[in-house]
Formats: sequence, structure tokens, C-alpha cells
Amino acid sequence: MNQQDGYADDIVKGFVIWSMVWGLVAVLLGVFISFQIAFPQLNFPPYLTYGRLRPIHTNAGIFGWGIGSFMAFFIYITQRLTRRSLWSPGLAKAQLWLFNVVIALAAVTLAMGMNRSKEYAELEWPVATLVVVLWVIFSVNIVMTIVKRREEQMYISLWYILATLVGVAVLYLVNNAAIPVSLTKSYSAYAGANDANVQWWYGHNAVAMVLTTPPLAIFYYFLPKATGVPIYSHRMSVVAFWSLIFMYLWTGAHHLLWAPVPDWVQTLAMGFSVMLIAPSWAAVFNGYFSMNGQWHQMRENYLVKFLIFGITFYGMQTLQGPSQSIRTFSAFIHFTDWVPGHVHMGTLGWVSLVLFAAIYYTVPRIYHTEVYSIPMANMHFWLVLTGQLIFSITMWIAGVQQAAMLNATNPDGSLHYSFIETLAELYPYWYMRAAGGVIYLAGLLLFLYNIYKTITGGKPQAAVQPA
Amino acid sequence: MDSASIYYLGVTLFLFIVFAAIVARTYRKAHQAKGEEPKFRMMDDDEPKKKDRPE
Ligand code: HEM
Repeated sequence: MNQQDGYADDIVKGFVIWSMVWGLVAVLLGVFISFQIAFPQLNFPPYLTYGRLRPIHTNAGIFGWGIGSFMAFFIYITQRLTRRSLWSPGLAKAQLWLFNVVIALAAVTLAMGMNRSKEYAELEWPVATLVVVLWVIFSVNIVMTIVKRREEQMYISLWYILATLVGVAVLYLVNNAAIPVSLTKSYSAYAGANDANVQWWYGHNAVAMVLTTPPLAIFYYFLPKATGVPIYSHRMSVVAFWSLIFMYLWTGAHHLLWAPVPDWVQTLAMGFSVMLIAPSWAAVFNGYFSMNGQWHQMRENYLVKFLIFGITFYGMQTLQGPSQSIRTFSAFIHFTDWVPGHVHMGTLGWVSLVLFAAIYYTVPRIYHTEVYSIPMANMHFWLVLTGQLIFSITMWIAGVQQAAMLNATNPDGSLHYSFIETLAELYPYWYMRAAGGVIYLAGLLLFLYNIYKTITGGKPQAAVQPA
Repeated sequence: MDSASIYYLGVTLFLFIVFAAIVARTYRKAHQAKGEEPKFRMMDDDEPKKKDRPE
């Protein structure tokens, strides 16, 4: 612990460092599998195939980089907003160990081909059980810190943190219900269309409770810290929070439009997905209005640049997502490369930009150093922005082209192109995507170097430099 | 409409009413200053403060 009566920040260091390690693994794998798509000869069975590596990429990205850093910042933020040191730093230490064991086990078991075939819920039951233990330890620690808080009212970030803890617990338990038949194999407790429905209720709410509520908690905390000006409206943030929670849980079936789940379930999902624009954009507007009179900081303060671009991508994401949830639009882009374009604007744009800002803000404070190089941080920003935009834009174009080809028919009504013909047309886009990935990776490496030098205390910044 | 749909609709309506109550409570006039207080208090949280303690 930092000091007896202070905040337990040593544990934050551990989570930040390990999340960056898993983030690097995720991006390295992402770049490698993008090359495997562009150059299929790079597949080396059985372990180094796209099929084995893709789930390791998503698990390392969402759970290693995402959840790892959310754990860091939930611990950092909760202590400050409650003005309490962490309820149990010892428990948090155990949590860090378990977290790394789980992610490593996930990587090994997935590489060996043990996979429940449910997206984002691939882990077989022994590893999934450890995830549950991990989440309970984490939740108890955060909830107890909040219960013992010295602040009467809870700042909005704490609401988002609580929603994440409860939401993930419910989703994970329900969707992972399974009947084990051996140590390495289990069968889902649900069957057929019900299984798909539960899976996508989980899948989309993983987007809600892992890729939306935690980064929002972090955004609402670090934007005012970075600008030095409070957020525009706390009450608006509270109302947006409750409407987001009210709406998100019904939207999962927008992944199953035209599938054999009841029509009314699909319509409900479609309706709620469109309604989600309101709470999502309330957060975006809150971010933008918080910048009233502060827009010059976009030029002067690199943290603000990361955060405002991050929330802008969130805004784009929450306009694109509802469009994709409409039956006709879904029929067009589903099963095409449009979807990875959407996904990576969210993960590389929204989530990662906010996390980069949070790491740049906290690391110098918890290590009592200065950021090693602000110009390097700016370079990092432009590289990851360029890489992500190349990725998303090429995939949207590829998706539309593929969709048009899949929909083309001959005069007798038969399909004009076979599926494989549509794929063959996509090679140029896949080359560009791989190039975008390399640019993103370069930015990430610069970031890691900058943080490494910040931690090891190399060449401190001049005190006069802006934040 | 079968009973499952009516149940579904009922739960949705109930939740909506809860949500409407939250909005009404958050935006009532008397709550204005208090509702905005946390955004100012969070600006200064670098150390736990002695004066903040209840005891
Ligand atoms: C209003 C908010 C949003 C809505 C309504 C929405 C809607 C959708 C829809 C309909 C799909 C499925 C596309 C298809 O396969 O046809 C999808 C996929 C996805 N979205 Fe969004 N989206 C939203 C926001 C976000 C955000 C903020 C993220 C953050 C990263 C995100 C991440 C994803 C991911 C990871 C998938 C891929 C799921 C898969 O593996 O198939 N979405 N979204």
C-alpha cells in the first residue's frame, strides 16, 4: 500500500502493467491473424491457425487488456470517489494473480482447441469457474469500499462501476450454465434457438457491461481531471445511466435478426437498440458540453485529445450500431466484413483511446514521476488513430461491396456470385487492413516505451510543459 | 397475445415506471444543487481528507 491512510495504489500498478502486457499480446495476434486472412499460407496447423488464434486475440483484447485495465481503474477511481482506501488490498493482490492465471489458462486452452463455440464465452468450465471466483473477489472488494465510503452521494462513475460488477456477474453465470462431461468438455444448458438467444443476450450485453459501462466510468472520471473543469451536468449523466441500463438488456436479439427466434423478440431488440441512441448520445453531449470554453485544450493537452476522440468514436458507434439493428440494414451487412469495421471502431477507437488517456494520467501520479515524452504521446495518438481509421473504413467498404455481391441475382432469381467469389474480391481490403494493423501496432509500441520510461523515471519532463 | 408476452410487457412497463420516477426525482427543483454536487466534489480527491470522515 502507498501509505497507511492513503490509497492502495501499488495494486493499481500491477493491473496497469499486466493489462498492457495482454494488450500487446492481443494486438500482435490481431496483426498476425489479419495477415493470415490476407495470406492464407501463413496458417500453420494445428496451433497457429486463424481458427485457434482468433479467440485468443479476442480474449486477450477484451478480458486481458480491457478487463485488466478496468480492474486497475475501478480500484483507482473507487478509492478516490469514496475517499476510502481499498477495503482489502490483500484480496486485490490475490485477484491480480488469479487474473493472470485465468488469462494465461484461457490462451493455453484455446490454443489446444478447447472451446465452447460461444463467442466471448469460449472458455471451458474449469477456467470459467475461475473467472467467477475472480469476479466475486473483485466485486466484494469494490462494493465494500463503496459501502464504507466517506462521500454521501455517488459520482456517476461509481454507478457505472456498480452496473459493471452486477451486470457481468448475471450475464456470465446465465450464459455459462453448462453440463460438464469431462474436464475439458461441457454442453450448454440450453438448446437450439434458446441457446442462441441466451448467447446473444450475453454477447451484446458484454458490449454493454464490458465495452461501454467501464469506459464510461473511466471517461467521466478522467475527462474533468484532464481538463480541470467539472463535467457539464451530473444529473444528465445519472438519467442517461439509468436509461442505458433500462434499455441495453433487451437488445441482444439484434444479432439474430431473420433467425428462428420469435419475431417479437427481434422487434423488441430492434426498438430498444434504436432507443439506445438517446442515453448514448447524452454521454457524448455531456462530454462535448464539458468542453465549453475548453476546446483549445484539444490542441494543448494530449489527454483531452485521446478522451474527446474516444467519446466521438463512442458516438459514431452508437449511431452505427442502431442502424445495424434494423432488419433491412442487418440483412445487407450481416455476414460481411462491415461488422469487424464496427467492432474495431469501438475497441480500438472508443475503449482503447480512453484507456490510453487513463494510463497516461495515472502512471506518473502513482509512480511519482513525469510523463517521459509528450511529443511521443502525440505521435502515439496519430498512429493509433490512423491505423484504426484505415482498419474500419476499409472494412466498411469491403462489407458494402461484399453485401452487394451477395445480394446480386440473375434474371431467374438465382445468386449471381458464390460466397467464395465474394471473398476473392476482398483481398485488396485485407491487405490494407493488415497495413492499418501494423500502423496501430507501431503506435502501441511507442506508448509502451513511453510508459516504460515514465515508470523507470527516465528523463523527467520540464515542469512547465502542459498536462 | 399469450401470457408470456403479457408478462414481458408488464415487466417492461414496470421498469419504465421505475425509470420515469428516477428521472422525476433527479430533475426536481429542490434536488438541483445537490444533484450537481458530486461533480464538484470529485475534482479534489487526491487524498482522503480528515474533515470528510464522519467520526
Ligand atoms: C447503441 C449501441 C450499439 C448498438 C445498438 C450496436 C449494435 C450492433 C449490432 C446490431 C451488431 C451485429 C452486427 C451483425 O453481426 O449483423 C453489433 C456487433 C458488435 N458491436 Fe455493436 N452496437 C452498439 C455499440 C457498440 C459499442 C459501443 C461497442 C464497443 C466496442 C460495440 C461492439 C460490438 C462488437 C464487439 C460486435 C461484434 C459482435 C460479434 O462478434 O458478432 N458495439 N453491434
